[in-house]
Amino acid sequence: MIDISGLIGTIMNNPVNIPLLYVIYDLLLKIPVLGGIVAFLLDFTILGMPIVKYIIGFVLWKPFFTLIIIPGFATLGTMLLVLPWLERKLVGRMQWRVGPREIEPHTRGSIQLLADTLRFLFQEVIIHKDAHKHYFLQFPFLYFIPVLLPLLFINAGAAGHPLVPIQTDYALQIMIGLVSLMPVFIIGVAWAANNRFSFIGAVREAFMYFAYEIPFIIAVLAMIVLYGTSNTAEVISGVNQSTWLHWGVILNPLAALTFFIATAMATSRLPFDIPEADQEVAFGPFVEYTGIVFGLAYIMAYEKAYVLAAIMTMLFFGGGSGPVIPYLGELSYGIWFVVKTLIILLVLVNLRGVYPRYRIDQALGIGWSAMLTFALVALVWSIVIGVII
Amino acid sequence: MKKVGTPEYDLSDKLKYHVSALSTAAKEMALPLNITTHYPRERKRQPACFRGYMLFDPERCISCFQCSFVCPANAIWMKDAPSGRYYPTVDYGKCIFCHFCIDSCPGGALRTTKIHDVAYKTMDEMFTSTEEMIEPPEIIREDEGVVDYVIDKEDLSLKRTKEIDELIVDVEPSQGVPMISVCVDRGSCLACKVCDKICESGAVSSVVEEATMTVKMGIDAEKCTGCGLCVKECSMQILRLVRK
Repeated sequence: MIDISGLIGTIMNNPVNIPLLYVIYDLLLKIPVLGGIVAFLLDFTILGMPIVKYIIGFVLWKPFFTLIIIPGFATLGTMLLVLPWLERKLVGRMQWRVGPREIEPHTRGSIQLLADTLRFLFQEVIIHKDAHKHYFLQFPFLYFIPVLLPLLFINAGAAGHPLVPIQTDYALQIMIGLVSLMPVFIIGVAWAANNRFSFIGAVREAFMYFAYEIPFIIAVLAMIVLYGTSNTAEVISGVNQSTWLHWGVILNPLAALTFFIATAMATSRLPFDIPEADQEVAFGPFVEYTGIVFGLAYIMAYEKAYVLAAIMTMLFFGGGSGPVIPYLGELSYGIWFVVKTLIILLVLVNLRGVYPRYRIDQALGIGWSAMLTFALVALVWSIVIGVII
Repeated sequence: MKKVGTPEYDLSDKLKYHVSALSTAAKEMALPLNITTHYPRERKRQPACFRGYMLFDPERCISCFQCSFVCPANAIWMKDAPSGRYYPTVDYGKCIFCHFCIDSCPGGALRTTKIHDVAYKTMDEMFTSTEEMIEPPEIIREDEGVVDYVIDKEDLSLKRTKEIDELIVDVEPSQGVPMISVCVDRGSCLACKVCDKICESGAVSSVVEEATMTVKMGIDAEKCTGCGLCVKECSMQILRLVRK
């Protein structure tokens, strides 16, 4: 028999502390009719349980709140809607263009991606006869597993106030493992499509995987050595990254640089969009996809970028630490976390307005010479700093 | 022989160029030096002499065929009207918008507008009859502002003003160089009277002299409009257009 009252007690005793909600609640109660409705709803009971109160408590329950709202699915979804638009707008400004505009001109075409999604939804999904039908449809959805699972370990809080769904001592290792799993699914997608361009894209993806994976892991390892922990809650604790002078990017800039370049390579952004190079192999592994499945493929790169940028915010930019916004309580950490992540993402996506694409041999050269050297130096530097501090 | 290779940069050069590229991008992102006109919502201010869609005024036309003769693209064909006169029609599929026809029109019947955005569904529609040339075409205006390109020193910048540019310009018709038709070789005249029949303004007169059984043709310099019809039609090709 499940101990329901004990479970409810656990849920209700661990909420995200947002004082603003109580202020709004008090204000609502003072409004004549609406206040009565609110009071009635909160006291409404089924089987002796105030069900509305329990639902609100469940939403505000820390593990649920962090997984669903900040830094989980809601933030990810908002990023996916906003980021491609911001990217197109800002790169357009850089290149003296206008960017999306015709859909909702008053807000500068901000709902362009919604319109694109609608179009993708109503497009026919074509499965050509050479494709392996089951894998062709399954792999884009399976790809979501390694992309979404790292959300469980992202910590959006600051020192003393972790906003993380699951606290474990192996969080960073699990996240890196999941991120490293992603190219396998891309290669699977390309194999299932059975097309010459997707094969070329798959081989290029594998090459890029070899180029960035080792320096990427060593850079994270350097930060684990520096912080002495791989728990995402302890990475941003009173000891580590207490002030901005102790941020990872200040203590170990080489690791941050390596991580950033590896992020650009892992998400196939310019200047490293070698696997998906539009002009050469027409979106590489995803060349045969149409409709909503292509929409998923298009968006997955952004999801991956969000996960990696969130890891970067935690490791190098102090997570959600920042000036406390009054009345928001623990939510203010989450807001700072989202702002930092968005800035990193903007720098990442706007690289395509600045750099041309590298050749694959140049990218491999960067990966195995400069980045590997940086990563190793960063590791040694971390050990030295760790001994000193 | 000098061999051209790839430029070699050392680390400081590379860093310098990376910083330069990124800072340029950031600068353009904040304040782009964009000089693009957002066309349907604003229009560039065109000069009054803009060579656009042509309008036609039949009251001023003297059916001299000058526009048709001068057209380098052979886009203007003359069609006979119920009144017995000939009026121009323009095939915009051929027209190159040189506006020689407007410059050559002695009566100022053809005039230019600033309209440059006319769409046709088929090639046949581009053949514009005389009736369609009298009134300007229907235009859906979306523009709310006018853009002027301002050149200060060596830089080009945009100046946007909230006004609606009038597309139909009201300018004096081009008078061109005043010409008259003269006969250069009276001895060769056959007195076929083609010039008399064709002249719209009644400038050609003929006097029959009974004594010598000859006909003497004369051109009244005051009445002659210099349209050149008689010059084209003269069977002996003894008429010339000269400056007045």
